[in-house]
Amino acid sequence: MTAIAAATVASTLAACGGGDDGSSSSAEGGGENEASDIGVTEDSIKLGAHYPLTGVAAPGYSEIPTGVQAYFDCLNKEGGVYGRDIEFIFKDDAYNPSQTSQVTNELVLEEEIFAMMSGLGTPTHSAVVDFLNDEGVPDLFVSSGSLLWGENPEEYPMSFGWQTDYLSEGKIIGEYIANEFPDAKVGLFLQDDDFGQDGEEGIRQYLDDQIVAAERYVPGNTNVGPQIAALQAAGADFVVGFNVPSYTALSQLTALQLGYDPQWFYSNVGSDPNLVGGLLNRFSEGKVSDAALLDGALTTGYLPTVDMTDNPWIQEFSRIWDECGGEGELSNYRVYGMSQAYTMTQALQAAGQNPTREGLVEAVEAVGAEWEGPVFAPFRYSEDSHLGTSGMTIERIVGNGSEEVQPVRTTDIGDAPIEEFDKEPATPPANGIPDEEAYEG
Amino acid sequence: MDYFVNVTITGLTQGIIYSAFALALVLIWRSTRIVNFAQGSMAAATTFIALALIQAGQSYWVALVVALVSGFVLGALVERVIIRPVEGGPELNAVIVTLGLFVAIQALIAIIFGSSFQSFPTPFGVRGFQVGGSTIPLTPTSLYVIGSVLITMALLVALFRFTRVGLAMRASAFSQEVARLLGVKVGGMLTLGWGLAAVVGSLSGLLIAGGGFVYPAYMDSLIVFGFVAAIIGGLDSPVGAIVGGLILGLALSYVNGYVERGSALVSVAALVILIVVLLVRPGGLFSSTTARRA
Repeated sequence: MTAIAAATVASTLAACGGGDDGSSSSAEGGGENEASDIGVTEDSIKLGAHYPLTGVAAPGYSEIPTGVQAYFDCLNKEGGVYGRDIEFIFKDDAYNPSQTSQVTNELVLEEEIFAMMSGLGTPTHSAVVDFLNDEGVPDLFVSSGSLLWGENPEEYPMSFGWQTDYLSEGKIIGEYIANEFPDAKVGLFLQDDDFGQDGEEGIRQYLDDQIVAAERYVPGNTNVGPQIAALQAAGADFVVGFNVPSYTALSQLTALQLGYDPQWFYSNVGSDPNLVGGLLNRFSEGKVSDAALLDGALTTGYLPTVDMTDNPWIQEFSRIWDECGGEGELSNYRVYGMSQAYTMTQALQAAGQNPTREGLVEAVEAVGAEWEGPVFAPFRYSEDSHLGTSGMTIERIVGNGSEEVQPVRTTDIGDAPIEEFDKEPATPPANGIPDEEAYEG
Repeated sequence: MDYFVNVTITGLTQGIIYSAFALALVLIWRSTRIVNFAQGSMAAATTFIALALIQAGQSYWVALVVALVSGFVLGALVERVIIRPVEGGPELNAVIVTLGLFVAIQALIAIIFGSSFQSFPTPFGVRGFQVGGSTIPLTPTSLYVIGSVLITMALLVALFRFTRVGLAMRASAFSQEVARLLGVKVGGMLTLGWGLAAVVGSLSGLLIAGGGFVYPAYMDSLIVFGFVAAIIGGLDSPVGAIVGGLILGLALSYVNGYVERGSALVSVAALVILIVVLLVRPGGLFSSTTARRA
């Protein structure tokens, strides 16, 4: 019922925005640029996003928008999308859902953005997903692996995931451990929300009988001593963490205190070795060296990382960061932001010369699964699924980089099997700017 | 059994940190009869000063001393400039002013030092000691914290019990008029009280930060737990603050470790403990008098 209502509102809004120019014919190439919908003018498109720029989730994540911005700045220099500059407005929600609501209201009602992109975080974005869908604002490529954005397009027709969902990630991790470590006693260290739950569900599909303990922490409670001690007491010699980066550092520190040394496996979200190492290295004035702590831990990957200097995408993104970026080095978080901006550019190109909000969503559903880019495996976008990519490698952290221990495998939610992925990786186009055809519908 | 020992030790080391913060609250209460909500952000401010020095290459100990001195200056300044005008009015006014300060200082820290999450060094190790064949979660750093807190407590008890200054401070706090009549320089005593409390607060901020993470709001949860610890202890007694902190730390660690989904219940548990203590002993466990009001 709400889904129908939301869809109605969406189409009404789209009609309001594009009603005066006969938008159905404007998707033809070669026409004039028109102000085809809210947030679109003849020479600009306004996009909005929310990120934790301050607070406990800010380390790392606050770098994502700088990557997005750098990519769009370079894109704008090359003529933008159909001659329109991309205007990217991002606001700080401090990873606090009530602030996410506030800044999203500002973005939608005051800034009048065309679409939301890359809004970060499961608890935060959950607070605004209904609002965005009710208002008919495209909500593309949410920066979170929750199933919420993609599992049920009827409920949230405007929302799309982007990265591998945590359930699929859990399945790939579970299968790997069952195959490679059949005798391990596995303990789970989980964030006590959808993130941890989805991951646990995926892992248990392949590994249920090997799991000896599942401990949960609540973000904000920085004492994880009892959880780590419980994993130790249960005899777990292999710990899988579905946690954010600061809790990777906390769990490592606590394990150090307890003299607990299992094989660690951190899911993609919590594993950035530069960030975690940076947090850990000053704890004891160099008495605990940074790299050593995470060395040998396992993790997953769905995007190239900055240590892969041979990867053409990383080379291209380095060039973009040098030319259009701000202060600091290219980091994995900036690569993440640039990769999202790349996909967003593909989506805007596919939406045609005079894009409407509805047209954008239709285009992603219709052709999004064919897009190639820095992401290892294709997106799953269709009318029935708005989930992003599903392919993941398994990697071992070595120093501040990583080495692949299992090539990309793909899966889907539910009991979909895990399959090998053997397509050649895509290479970046000229200037790192995609060239997708307009989707005509 | 190992697990019980681990959870207990973790609780005690967390508890002593709550105690440290509660001590600062008790000190300011004893010397000025104000509950200072800004204590947490004042401590965070001096911790960031220390961190800036350490990042500039100074040793931990230099940074510690500078932080404590700047804590004293900050406390005295706050009393002279901000609290003095509202002192003597309704008690609530001063308390509300400290609440405003709490937010303002936190925002200032974010502006000056940035709001990113940073690790704070500790001069001692963070690996647990070996006992028998197993490692217990007691580290050289936690011994340093425990030692510092106990020494601070002893110094405070001595100050209030055995020195004229301590007596004068208590008198000024208890009744300004009477103290003045007896020749106590009340204004100076109040400034001194705030300065000393801020020193203890700064110390607790540094101890909490050591071997952990700091960001402008890192003291927030400790403010709540520190208050609960101080109230449990009676708000008036340094020993009570220590015991209150330890009780709270242990209780929360057991909730965290033994209750299903306990990690989420920690804050709730702290408030339940507070309510129970206040219902059973309204003045707190260590209150010396039942209705001592200025």
